[in-house]
Amino acid sequence: MLEIEGLTAGYGGIEVLRDINVRLGDGELVGLLGANNAGKTTMINSLSGTVKPMAGRILFQGEDITRLTPRQRVERGIVQVPEGRLVFPEMSIRENLLLGGINSRARPQRRQQMEKVLELFPRLGERLAQHAGSLSGGEQQMLAIGRGLMADAKVLMLDEPSLGLSPLFVQYIFEIIDKLHADGLTILLVEQNLNLTLRHAQRCYVLERGQVAVEGGADAVRNDPRTKSAYLGL
Amino acid sequence: MTELYQALAQGLLIGSTYGLLALGMGLVYGVSGVVNFSHGDFISLGMFMCLGLYSALSLDPYVSVIITVPVMTAIGALVYLFLIRPMVGHQFLMVVQLTLGLSLVLQNGILMVFGGQPARTPSIVESKLWILGDVVLRVPHVIAFVISFALAIGLYVMLRSTDFGRSIRAVHQNAHAAALMGIDVGRVQVLTFALGIGILALAAALLLPGTPIQPTQGLRYTVITLLVVVLGGMTNFVGIMLGGLIIGIAEAFGTIYLDGAIGLLMPYIIFVAIMLFRPQGLTWRSSK
Repeated sequence: MLEIEGLTAGYGGIEVLRDINVRLGDGELVGLLGANNAGKTTMINSLSGTVKPMAGRILFQGEDITRLTPRQRVERGIVQVPEGRLVFPEMSIRENLLLGGINSRARPQRRQQMEKVLELFPRLGERLAQHAGSLSGGEQQMLAIGRGLMADAKVLMLDEPSLGLSPLFVQYIFEIIDKLHADGLTILLVEQNLNLTLRHAQRCYVLERGQVAVEGGADAVRNDPRTKSAYLGL
Repeated sequence: MTELYQALAQGLLIGSTYGLLALGMGLVYGVSGVVNFSHGDFISLGMFMCLGLYSALSLDPYVSVIITVPVMTAIGALVYLFLIRPMVGHQFLMVVQLTLGLSLVLQNGILMVFGGQPARTPSIVESKLWILGDVVLRVPHVIAFVISFALAIGLYVMLRSTDFGRSIRAVHQNAHAAALMGIDVGRVQVLTFALGIGILALAAALLLPGTPIQPTQGLRYTVITLLVVVLGGMTNFVGIMLGGLIIGIAEAFGTIYLDGAIGLLMPYIIFVAIMLFRPQGLTWRSSK
């Protein structure tokens, strides 16, 4: 579904990612692991198009999307739920969700889509008029995921969804991720939390200093000594 | 007592248009972080375009807006695309420099075309008065008040309940997140700037009847707009309209109660006084 071939990307001429090859199959739940500064967020932003690649290409359902704008990628269903959630704080839950479905492909059915999202997160439905800035971290994460789903995502890319949440909320958010996966959604899960991700993802890539150090199934990744070194920076 | 009512009424009427001028600036600042120091010169441009249309086609300023609003909106879009956009993201002061330079270009351009003599643009309602008890209202001021408030309410509704309005607020609150929603941030910035300049074309026509104009007046409008925007809070809609009314009233009190120069200083004195006691602006909470 999504193929990244030889991707090199960075900021201001400095390479953060070097020659990355990553593949997501249809309906797969793939983990992207790595320590801080390994390049996970740069990678996800390259897929969203907010970071321009220096080399390599990105294919989505066979189409080369390397040069497409962020907007065109959202319209194709490549949707990011950013790190730190980045909900629009001065807008209501309802307005945040409506903005999630603002792209031209999702807009026509966004009322129906909102009903589905609120079914998934009943807690959001109880307080549609509340400002997003006044929600707890866990509720903001629900809203951020809900907002992403509003875009009628085909690939949902979640950047550190467990960051800063209480264990109970982390568990809840991962149950939701499993549920979305079971419903057939393709998911790229970017996480620092190794064990949690290995429990949920079918396959994982471990990034180390901008390159893929390890890839494979959960057990293979867990037992590979390079995984540990990627995390400890050895 | 009559004088007091007179000053209040006059100040409220003209202040509403000051609020409208400032809304344009606040919107642009909100989505691009640009403070446009050529704001007042665009008002001048709008007024002189009305003058030109009167000279050439005998159009009343209220009719000229049919032409000036779309033309100025287009000028705004071009200015943003070719002059301001390349600067956004650089140092804040570079953009300030740029708009100050633009102010000089506009001022001297107008001087070149229209000359330096104060000029008037007649309108059919120019000398019409509306008498309410002891208070005499100039009809152009009443028209300015009604249209300014109608437009402000229209803008408010647009920002609250249309996709375009929500896009503007999204870009203001978090441009990166807005891009991830599939909002074309660059496009929203261009359109907002164009809208801000288009509003000025309308405001120019509202301020024009009965007012002598000259090419160097732009800076005065820029300063008034800045006072209102700072008073109201850069992106606070209600605060800005309130700030406009306060500056309008201060100006009216100054000219009615005080002589000469000191009277003209009134808005600035009031501004400094408010800033001393409420440096955060008039309103308590910013509603973006």
